[in-house]
Amino acid sequence: MLEVSIFAILAMFMIGGSVAMILNKQTIYSAFGFLIAMIGVAGMFALLENRFLALAQIMVSVGAIVVLSMLTILTINAKEESLPHEPNKYKWILLSSVLVAPFTFLLYKTLSAAHRNFAQMETITSKVVGKALFSEWVLPFEIVSILLLAAMLGAIVIARKEEIVKTEEIIKKEENV
Amino acid sequence: MTPDMFYLLVSILFSLGLIGLVSRRNLFIVYMSVELMLSSVNLLLATYSKVLGDANASAMALLMIAVVAAEAALFLAMIIHLYRAKQTIDSDRFDKLGEGRKHA
Repeated sequence: MLEVSIFAILAMFMIGGSVAMILNKQTIYSAFGFLIAMIGVAGMFALLENRFLALAQIMVSVGAIVVLSMLTILTINAKEESLPHEPNKYKWILLSSVLVAPFTFLLYKTLSAAHRNFAQMETITSKVVGKALFSEWVLPFEIVSILLLAAMLGAIVIARKEEIVKTEEIIKKEENV
Repeated sequence: MTPDMFYLLVSILFSLGLIGLVSRRNLFIVYMSVELMLSSVNLLLATYSKVLGDANASAMALLMIAVVAAEAALFLAMIIHLYRAKQTIDSDRFDKLGEGRKHA
């Protein structure tokens, strides 16, 4: 019973956070809703007795991704006129909700057709995950490391492009002088 | 506590992400909706890990978290770049590929 109550509270937080994320006009408030949803996901991992994933979720999603998006939002500091003008926002959200609802039902039916009971098992600790990760999943693990390196380089190159152009312009100006 | 509750929550979260993705034009909200959809898939993998009593799904979820981190870095860099180019975060303003359509 306690587990069900915790699940209900976490689920309310997650759904409330996601709805707040979708509805808010100001981007930073959406980011706070997103933060609540991500903490809820970490709580769900803990509820599933999956300690390692809960910790990873807190460290990567909450600690890095949400903070990074908030920093980006604050860095851009979009003024009222740069925000998209969405007069029919609620109509669009309502329409897409109606369109997506059958898909949700279908998804739930498909998923719940698979297994209906939890297996009796030990808590999934970092030891078990580590064994799986470095025996069967070692090639995907290495590929992910290359992916992260490529993403890091790509992010630097994309975000720096403007600066390079500016320095080139400055060099040209200095040459002209 | 049954897996059904988790399946229902995963379906709802994925659909909320889809709704945010198609109905909003703010680039940041599009980005956060994509993240929400990926996180709901992660939650499904963790649920299967518990249902099947198998750590392989947890390893997959961990790799997914790394992919989500890479996606976040690239998406945010793209948003900064787009904002510098047009001074807006309205996704409808970035329609360079559809410019020919206006003249046709």
